[in-house]
Amino acid sequence: MRTLRRRVRALLPYLVLGLVSGSIYGLTAMGLVLTYKTTGVFNFAHGAVATGAAYLFYELDAKRGLPWPIALALAVALIALLGGPLMEAIGSRLRRVPVATQVVATIGLLLAIQGIVVAIFGAVAMPFPAFLSSRTVRLPGVFVGIDQIVVFGVAAVLAVGLFVFFRSSRTGLSMQAVVDNPDLVGLRGTSAVRVRTVAWMVGLATAALSGVLLGPSVGLNAPFLTLLVVQAFGAAAVGGFASLPLVYVGGLLLGVAAAIAQKYVPGHQFLEGVPSSLPFAFLLAMMLIAPGRLARRTTGGRVPPPPARPLPPVVRRFGPVVVVGLAAAVPAVVGTKLPIYAGGAAYVVLFASLALLVRTSGQASLCHAGFAAVGASSFSHFTHGAGLPWALGLILAGLVAVPVGALVAIPAIRLSGIYLALGTFGFGVLLQQLVYRTHFMFGRSGPLPVPRPAGLDGDVAFYYVILTIAVLTCLVIAVLTRQRLGRLLHALADSPLALGAQGVDVNVTRVLVFCISAFFAAIAGALLAALSGSVDVAPFDPFQSLLYLVVLAVAGSGQLRAPVVAAALLAVVPAYIAGSDTLATYEPVVFGLSAVAIALAEGSRGELSALVRRGAERGRARIARGPAAARLERAT
Amino acid sequence: MTSGLAVESLTVRYGGLVAVDDVSLEAPTGRITGLIGPNGAGKTTLFNASNGLVRPASGRVRLDGRDITRLPLARRAQLGLGRSFQRIELFNSLSVRQNVELGREGVLAGSMPWRQLFSRRSEQRTVAAAADEALVVCGLETFADRPAGALSTGNRRLVELARILAGGFHMLLLDEPSSGLDDRESERFGAILTHVVREREIGILLVEHHMELVLSVCHYLYVLDFGKLLFEGTPQDAVRSEVVRAAYLGTAA
Repeated sequence: MRTLRRRVRALLPYLVLGLVSGSIYGLTAMGLVLTYKTTGVFNFAHGAVATGAAYLFYELDAKRGLPWPIALALAVALIALLGGPLMEAIGSRLRRVPVATQVVATIGLLLAIQGIVVAIFGAVAMPFPAFLSSRTVRLPGVFVGIDQIVVFGVAAVLAVGLFVFFRSSRTGLSMQAVVDNPDLVGLRGTSAVRVRTVAWMVGLATAALSGVLLGPSVGLNAPFLTLLVVQAFGAAAVGGFASLPLVYVGGLLLGVAAAIAQKYVPGHQFLEGVPSSLPFAFLLAMMLIAPGRLARRTTGGRVPPPPARPLPPVVRRFGPVVVVGLAAAVPAVVGTKLPIYAGGAAYVVLFASLALLVRTSGQASLCHAGFAAVGASSFSHFTHGAGLPWALGLILAGLVAVPVGALVAIPAIRLSGIYLALGTFGFGVLLQQLVYRTHFMFGRSGPLPVPRPAGLDGDVAFYYVILTIAVLTCLVIAVLTRQRLGRLLHALADSPLALGAQGVDVNVTRVLVFCISAFFAAIAGALLAALSGSVDVAPFDPFQSLLYLVVLAVAGSGQLRAPVVAAALLAVVPAYIAGSDTLATYEPVVFGLSAVAIALAEGSRGELSALVRRGAERGRARIARGPAAARLERAT
Repeated sequence: MTSGLAVESLTVRYGGLVAVDDVSLEAPTGRITGLIGPNGAGKTTLFNASNGLVRPASGRVRLDGRDITRLPLARRAQLGLGRSFQRIELFNSLSVRQNVELGREGVLAGSMPWRQLFSRRSEQRTVAAAADEALVVCGLETFADRPAGALSTGNRRLVELARILAGGFHMLLLDEPSSGLDDRESERFGAILTHVVREREIGILLVEHHMELVLSVCHYLYVLDFGKLLFEGTPQDAVRSEVVRAAYLGTAA
């Protein structure tokens, strides 16, 4: 009994820590869910907004010397008041595009905001000004910091306030209505645009506030703060992405669970990743316990994606030949830059596999870096470790990723759209946190050596090896998409329901395409590893998956053209721009903003084509009613 | 044992609400069976339970005498149960011909991964032939190469019907196929239905609000109200029935 009491007492400080951070997670998650429910757009950049706010506060408070209450108010107000109308302008266009494009756009926003912060303040984490008193008071059994009490209290009060606002104020009630039927809200004299703008402002304000409140405990750490969105959707999952009080409770649970895990982690290496992977554990648990709550949202009212603009027949027939011919001539021209092109060829494999999922079947996958990591590490084990022949090792490395792909496809069976994107991203993070460092993958004893094929290990020879594999990959994918699978995938992207009603087991299709995609992504990972000679975890950060998706979106249309362009954009072009070191910092900003711009253009196009279609239907109806009616209508 | 669809004492609940309450009906092949009733009577729910989108609380669904109550959507389609949707479900980015081809392609692809990857040459011929025939039956030849998303509602309904006809199903569930069509279009739609039932000996279970269409094509009628079966009989009897008038025809007229 006494030992139990002592144990509980030893846990108390962690409980306090957990409640404090959990309260912030809960508040952020409520903001996220509120905007999502009201505007229909899931903001992946929610955490990036928190990052931006934390740095802005730092600038105003520590550098400009403003008193902290003013700095805090200014930072939150600036972000909410400027960001709200901006996000409504963006969001209103995004509602018309397919969910996959929505995901790309807000991820682009995430990359851009984080990129700007890193470009201005640098990538190194900095200490955050401790703006609250750090004196402690003694509560029964535990010392609690005044700052902790204030942070917990502020977040809790705001959470309650948010709930009351949503439940009883006129604007809050309109928010509930606007999701179901924006036109109806308009009829009752409330502008749907205004309601959504307010929702964005509230959401952004919670994110900004959370960033500043979290700052003192985590420091100015851009990637970490940006991942706050991950904590937020872990908490949101507990509330089924719907119930605000449950979402807040989810935040508290998440904070406490992570803090208590923190206590037990030291000394258990394999537990190290547990705290940061908890949000996904929550999400996965929700998927298993109550899949109905995360049911697929229908994509009604969305315009179909634009059909790929067909190229002139000459280009279509000879284009690939010319591209391959040029690629074959590269070693004679580029000199010492050859390894860059070799990397580009490997990225073609990666992007082709990603395009198969995202473009053809309309499913957003955000764990491609994970597939590549599986390929790279197991390739090292097969060749360097087990001494298998190079080519055999490569194929085996691809095959190892196949069951991993099937595993990721499980969320794809139950979820679609935004939840699928979250689920796959979550899987990528879980993989990084829990498996990357085990001896199955990279282990802990430094980079893994990765050989090149014997006799073909010169830069030129190895370039041709990679190029050959890239061409083969493209051929295989071209054949697959022209065969039955390709037709099924296109149909799947449009209407899984209709496809199922025609007798196709669409779950088999989904698993199949994830397996094929994972196979090629793993091959790409292995090739990139062999190119650099050794491999470690750094290149396979889950954030890379976000960048891949965004770059592919920027690269335009075409089953194989887009992967080639994307590989060139990511791997080759930067090497030719002067001062590419500074460029590297702005790269995510450029890609991110381009992705947003492209999604917006598509949204506006949707507006146009919807107008044209309505006009045509009206015209048709007029003709059906006869010439006299049409004349009459024209006259009035 | 008759071939066709039979629903036996089917009950579907949504939470506390009973959407379909102990309903039994039969829709044999070779005739068009109508299922009518006011909005919210449970017609679409009955369809969803019949083809596997909703799990019933109790009761059975049989296709050609075989119990299919627990089979998934795709499996029921493979056994010959086709379905159209109240909110038209087309592959909007594909052409009309590709949509219709997918009708047969889907049945052939089925559930096996290998079958979903590749098609045999003979299958490709089957698919093309089935699509050609369905396009002709529905009078869509001239639209074959247009994107399905760009057509008028009337033609989109026809594309959905053509896709199901190409699938070679012998039992069709059609959910308000004439909604959004003008009188001329729904007359044409009815003619196509009568034609295919006669030619192919298939069965149709038709949910429909357009009474003229129902009375002119259906051989037998079931009337649902508040989830309960209110009436069954020939269309002529239905028109004469006081109960049906009160519940449905009265309010519709």
